[in-house]
Amino acid sequence: MPEGASSPNLPGSWQQPDSEPPEIVERLVGFGHALRDEGLPVGADDVVMFCSAVAELTPSDLEDVYWSGRTTLVHRRDHLPLYDDVFRRYFLGHAPPPGTEPFPAEPISQGLSGTLNVPDSEPGAEAGDDRPMVLGRQASGVEIRRDKRFAECTPAELAALRRIMAQVRLEPPRRRTRRRRTDPSGARLDIRRMARDAMRLSHAAPALHRLSRAEHARPLVLILDVSGSMADHSRNLLQFAYSMRRAAQKVEVFCFGTRLTRITPALDRRNPDDAMKLAAGRVLDWDGGTQIGASLDTFIRRWGRKGLSRGATVVICSDGLDRGEPAALAIAMERLSRLCHRIIWMNPLVSDHADTPPSTLGMMAAGPFIDDLESGHDLASLESFASRLAHVG
Amino acid sequence: MSDQPSGESPASVAALQTQLRSAGYLASRGLATATLIGMRLGRPILLEGEVGVGKTEMAKCLAQIGGRQLIRLQCYEGIDTYQALYEWDYARQMLHVRALSESELTDAGAVSGLYSPDFLIERPLLSAIRAGSDAVLLIDEIDRADDEFEAFLLELLSDFQITIPEIGTIAATSRPLVVLTSNRTRELHDALKRRCLYHWIGYPSFDEEIEIVRLRAPGAVDTLARKVVAAVQRLRDMDLAKPPGVAETLDWVDALGVLDTDDLDTAAAADTIGAVIKDRDDLELVEAELDRVVADA
Repeated sequence: MPEGASSPNLPGSWQQPDSEPPEIVERLVGFGHALRDEGLPVGADDVVMFCSAVAELTPSDLEDVYWSGRTTLVHRRDHLPLYDDVFRRYFLGHAPPPGTEPFPAEPISQGLSGTLNVPDSEPGAEAGDDRPMVLGRQASGVEIRRDKRFAECTPAELAALRRIMAQVRLEPPRRRTRRRRTDPSGARLDIRRMARDAMRLSHAAPALHRLSRAEHARPLVLILDVSGSMADHSRNLLQFAYSMRRAAQKVEVFCFGTRLTRITPALDRRNPDDAMKLAAGRVLDWDGGTQIGASLDTFIRRWGRKGLSRGATVVICSDGLDRGEPAALAIAMERLSRLCHRIIWMNPLVSDHADTPPSTLGMMAAGPFIDDLESGHDLASLESFASRLAHVG
Repeated sequence: MSDQPSGESPASVAALQTQLRSAGYLASRGLATATLIGMRLGRPILLEGEVGVGKTEMAKCLAQIGGRQLIRLQCYEGIDTYQALYEWDYARQMLHVRALSESELTDAGAVSGLYSPDFLIERPLLSAIRAGSDAVLLIDEIDRADDEFEAFLLELLSDFQITIPEIGTIAATSRPLVVLTSNRTRELHDALKRRCLYHWIGYPSFDEEIEIVRLRAPGAVDTLARKVVAAVQRLRDMDLAKPPGVAETLDWVDALGVLDTDDLDTAAAADTIGAVIKDRDDLELVEAELDRVVADA
């Protein structure tokens, strides 16, 4: 819009130079600014859109303005409450108790769920039956909410992080997709390409071109136990998660003690120390008790059901010292095993390459649904796990 | 604005609501406002919401009331331009070449004729560009497609033109009405969202849902409709993994209709619960509390 340059102060007037009294435009633009001040990402183009929308509707009441703004200035469902709040303050000039909408809108329920039927290229192995549970070692039940500061990485740790990243970049876990690509030893003929060649080369016999299934990065979900009994390992795990996040394409990271926290966005910092500080700040229940079953259930309900773990390798890093109900853990594990490709459990109590899970209550409940049991008691063993990930996943 | 759609849009939000209602769709004021703005300004409309609240149905009804053609692109993981945009009909091209004689082949026109629109297989996006404002383009479940496809759509939705190397650029003379739906299985890219008008469709209130049942299942007895809706709303309040949507409500009413039942009691509910609850864990939870679910409002 070249005219925009001549009137930079009133973006709303670009498209309606005469149709709108300037004070209305100013009021609308002011609303956009008020939203921006509250932290909503409202761009100049959104405001132009908003003004155009209001102009199109020639609103008879404020409700038209409300809906015009809601559909043009808000792009995410999470921002709707904030929008309602700012709208109320800006146009109605008062702040009724939070939680009420300025206009009776459709009820928005809290539960979110979705189905995703991705054609499964490799159906995961079905989980086995429940086994009778035996009581084992237990964890402490205290929930301590406290910030955990992480010291800066030592040079040796940084070197290890770099090695993990390089390793994973070299060989990320993959799965086959529906697409095909040229492959001299592929099983299928590329008829399309051969037909094209045949036309170009008139009637010469076409060379055989072959196709095979292309491969795609397999999503990886890391679920880290940061409860008290795992305190010695949480630093390593976070470093491991950071390097995985930086190296592979689709990695999601969650932490849990008594509750589940998604820390993926925090790990996107370039500097490992910054990333880990930020991630540590997000988790409120460091070194507290453990509720593995409840945390996994939260994961399944909020993320797993919506498809986040579909076709993914899920890595749970925990010692299995659980204060929750073993039955809840078994149910959560069973559901999770149906929602993902493979479950790998990393337990620092396991000595390297042992096949028998340690006899903690949690491990016994989860045991039937674990596809691979790994150790991961220090950064070196995490490093070796990363190098094998492409093959176990 | 030069890029406004030429298809006429309803005079007001209320008029659009009335039209949609006559097509059997009960649109809230917010949804109707977003749609009207989208029609007037030629912007795509992104509908997000729970499963089964009528996102796809909305596009179908929009096509119906405007007398437009509905072009649907169902997204899935791994969808590419061959399935979304166009493809050359290689088999027909081959046959055509075989049919031509040697002398005809030397003619330059014969070869370029091979890449004429006759040999082009239109896929939904190309059809929509050609149809222009005569079409409603439904891009269904965009959250299932890959990121790369989203980036490609972004380009298409801003210009409504595509370039086919052998033919040239095809631009839409007028913009089709574009409706995108997402179940939010993953977060869409912000750039795509910015191109669109956004509307979140939540579950309808009790009264709205009764209205929907009356509209879509006019044969249902009123008391039955009220009981079913009340039961479904109670189910939504329970801690279910897959809360039932409006589509499930309608299925349930239909299922009870098949059984010739005018009343929803525990026995009838137990027989037909499969129409609403489609998850085994949820089923166990609901069956234990069936009496409370179907209790009188």
